[in-house]
Amino acid sequence: MKQILANFNKAFESRVRLGIMSVLAVNPAMDFTGLKETLAVTDGNLASHLRALEEAGYIRMEKSFINRKPNTSYSITDDGMESFSSHLKALEELIRNQ
Amino acid sequence: MTNQTDQHLEDIQAIRRLMESSSRFLSLSGMSGIIAGVLGIAGALGAQLIITRISAPVDWYARPFAEGPDGIREFLPLFVLMAVVLILAFSGAAFLSTRKARKSGIKAWTPVTRRMLVSLLIPLGTGGLFILLTAGTVPAGVIIASTLIFYGLAVISAGKFTFGEIHWLGVLEVAAGLVCLALPQYSVLIWILGFGLLHIVYGLFMHLRYRG
Repeated sequence: MKQILANFNKAFESRVRLGIMSVLAVNPAMDFTGLKETLAVTDGNLASHLRALEEAGYIRMEKSFINRKPNTSYSITDDGMESFSSHLKALEELIRNQ
Repeated sequence: MTNQTDQHLEDIQAIRRLMESSSRFLSLSGMSGIIAGVLGIAGALGAQLIITRISAPVDWYARPFAEGPDGIREFLPLFVLMAVVLILAFSGAAFLSTRKARKSGIKAWTPVTRRMLVSLLIPLGTGGLFILLTAGTVPAGVIIASTLIFYGLAVISAGKFTFGEIHWLGVLEVAAGLVCLALPQYSVLIWILGFGLLHIVYGLFMHLRYRG
């Protein structure tokens, strides 16, 4: 049980953060608007969770210009992919052990 | 503790749903498969009529479509027919899929849709150019077979971005194309079964399974 909880990542406790990681785990990259529409959350809410995940080194942000409009695109890092899949495994373990 | 388990279970379900809906185009309408199949059969029968009308020899399948000085002129109605069938089937799929997306309250035009279309159009466009460039020199039977093979590869490639079942439709299309190569004298019949009937069966299956 202790081992399972060790993999249970605090950074993913919020639903929005889990959502961001799920989407970025299966997509090479997604921009802010895409994430907002997929997860149906507000700008401020999404931005703060994205910042937290970025600071933890789980996702990376890339700013660019598309037709002179600024575009912010997010993708998962290797570290993020690894932590997210151990978190998923921990979740599944917890359910199985009940 | 039970509450917490429910919470985890909900989390896992939400994660799976998000992974699926953000990486797959799930609005692809089954009905559009049926329409593509019916249009394909109508097109193949039309093509057969055109082929026999241009006083084709019994071994027409072993000769190029556009042979000799009149070749291109004779091939033109066939080419127009193929283009019309393709455009109608494609528009039908686009219209029905947009409607299905609207009904289920999701957007049809997403990054996944774009990725799916690109992976569909690369093999399909290659096939189209291949046929245009070889119609004058390659036997008609091979051309008919290559429509099935390129289309099947396009479906397999686009299938990664939509329902998993479509993968098998692509595999069967490629298989039908290979059979067509081996039995060119039956190429129109194989095309009717391999493209038309398969699409109708696939479309019905998906329509019943995913309602739409």
